[in-house]
Amino acid sequence: MAEISTTRRITIDPITRLEGHGRIEIFLDEQGAVDRAYFQVPELRGFEKFAQGRPAEDMPQITSRICGVCPTAHHMASTKALDALYQVEPPPAAKKIRELIYTTFMVEDHALHFYFLGGPDFIVGPQAPAAERNVLGVIAKVGVETGQKVIAMRRKLRELIALAGGKAGHPVFGLPGGVARPLSEEDRQKFRSVAAEAVEFGLFSLEAFRKLVLADSHYVELIRSDAFTHRTYYMGLVDAENRLNFYDGVIRVVTPEGKPFASFTAAQYVDYIAERVEPWSYMKFCFLKPVGWKGFTDGADSGVYAVAPLARLNAAEKLATPLAQQAAVEYFATLGRPVHHTLANHWARLIELLYAAERMKELADDPGITDPNIRTVPTATPSEGVGVVEAPRGTLIHHYLTDSRGIIQKANMIVATQNNAARISLSVEKAARALVSGANVSEGLLNMVEMSFRAYDPCLGCATHSLPGSMPLWIEVRDTKGHRVALLRRDSDGTIRRE
Amino acid sequence: MERSAGSDAVRVRLLGLGNELLADDAFGIIVAREAAARFPSLDVVMTSESGLALLDYLNGVPSLLIVDTIQTGRREPGTLYAFDADRLCTAPAAAPHGAGLREALDLARALGLSAPTEVRILAVEAADCVTLGGRMHPAVEAAIPAALDWIEEQLVALATRSSQQPA
Repeated sequence: MAEISTTRRITIDPITRLEGHGRIEIFLDEQGAVDRAYFQVPELRGFEKFAQGRPAEDMPQITSRICGVCPTAHHMASTKALDALYQVEPPPAAKKIRELIYTTFMVEDHALHFYFLGGPDFIVGPQAPAAERNVLGVIAKVGVETGQKVIAMRRKLRELIALAGGKAGHPVFGLPGGVARPLSEEDRQKFRSVAAEAVEFGLFSLEAFRKLVLADSHYVELIRSDAFTHRTYYMGLVDAENRLNFYDGVIRVVTPEGKPFASFTAAQYVDYIAERVEPWSYMKFCFLKPVGWKGFTDGADSGVYAVAPLARLNAAEKLATPLAQQAAVEYFATLGRPVHHTLANHWARLIELLYAAERMKELADDPGITDPNIRTVPTATPSEGVGVVEAPRGTLIHHYLTDSRGIIQKANMIVATQNNAARISLSVEKAARALVSGANVSEGLLNMVEMSFRAYDPCLGCATHSLPGSMPLWIEVRDTKGHRVALLRRDSDGTIRRE
Repeated sequence: MERSAGSDAVRVRLLGLGNELLADDAFGIIVAREAAARFPSLDVVMTSESGLALLDYLNGVPSLLIVDTIQTGRREPGTLYAFDADRLCTAPAAAPHGAGLREALDLARALGLSAPTEVRILAVEAADCVTLGGRMHPAVEAAIPAALDWIEEQLVALATRSSQQPA
């Protein structure tokens, strides 16, 4: 980081294990007021170089190993990029199998996020002592029985992914033009049975959300508060009828007023999504190319946009399944449309969970899914392919350029968190403006900042699962000469200390 | 996840955490693989998964040995730290993907799953865990034999202790 001579700098580092990564930087002006604030999302280095020279067909296996959290999303985006690269259309049963495995994965990931990762905010509560704001606090609040229910649901879903997709942690089912093996009638019945349970589980979770969150006016006030509100563009995949789809379709963007702005295919992404590098950061911030970059600001004139559950519900006209659609109607009736409140991501996530479960059931109920014709063997000469899926955390794009033998010459990847990076910075800046004044850093900033970035669920741990260091979050205030004027830190045991 | 053939009566499992694609993050996997070769009957699990996905690999054994990387930034790369999992604190309101080993362990215990009672961790100070296709730091690579020795010591200690217990 370059020397900052005219501004003072505050650093909040939630994951000290990653030097220079995932940190929050707050720059103060000479008067000690917040000038600007940013959230730097960690990014893998060397993807392009790493991919160069490899056979494209290895990419679904390799990229699924990149992230320890969502291997299925990378595997699927990569497989779809290979379909495009080899210009093959998978047979109907192959598409159904892919979507079935994918929706199963979405149910699992969304369930874990809501209960155990987002839980500290909405289940335990933002006012709870820091020491209780963790998974143990969540269990204490929802009860051991519910906790066990979540874990049992997760186990069944993962067993299904392993059954149909190879290994749950390292899926191997996707091939260019199809999938590795058909779904047996016996396995279809297993999916049907778990899908029915998953639908019940989705309804149960929404009911829990109503009781724990919506019944409490403070929570609703918090969700709707200005501190967590940004009027930006929203992006998500939709089917031919503009209904939400996680696996396939066109990328649809709506304006901050909720009006259609653009619909484009994965291959056209370069015309719509541009990446900007800021001098103070090694990471790229995505923005909408036709709108342009107007800085870290919201509104219709700014190209800043959002992805992930909240954005997906805004970008789609409706949901394709009845119970989820009903839940979405309730959601928009409560919060307006489009929803601009970042914390509503948690609610939107549960609606998506229900949609994924219902969609899983629809796919498993279709006997056509067991058709043994599951592969269109590629014959065309490859040159370029783009694949897109909706990862749990938002739109994920893989783009490969190859020679005629299918050896990768150039590769690009846009991960969900990159799409959201500019909006996350808006959230951090808003929290900082409300709570930071010179060396007086409010303890509330810790909660505010954590709550805003947790709602987006940025991929902090994507790059590694090294053990964390001892200080999950700290804010450091330095004067223009680099001397520390204040330090507020939250240690791993939950205690907050000032030095 | 890869798993070597374990014995019928598994009392201890070695869990290698890491990612072979990401420079020093390969450490846990390489050590676990070499340990599986050195101690063929040991229950060894290697995974590049993180977060609460670890729940699947923690349960069902009383003792768990874990090899992983750590970045404290306070010591030279290649430094080995050995400690009990209880010394890993539960992160308050952990970062979304930051929920890790300790959270998975807490959850397993709170829900009455068959969580191990004893979890010993060996972590190497890593220099770089984010460069795809990156090489391991020489000092991290040089710590592999010492890590294998640590595993052997732990196995001997566990075996000694169990043989001293009344039948």
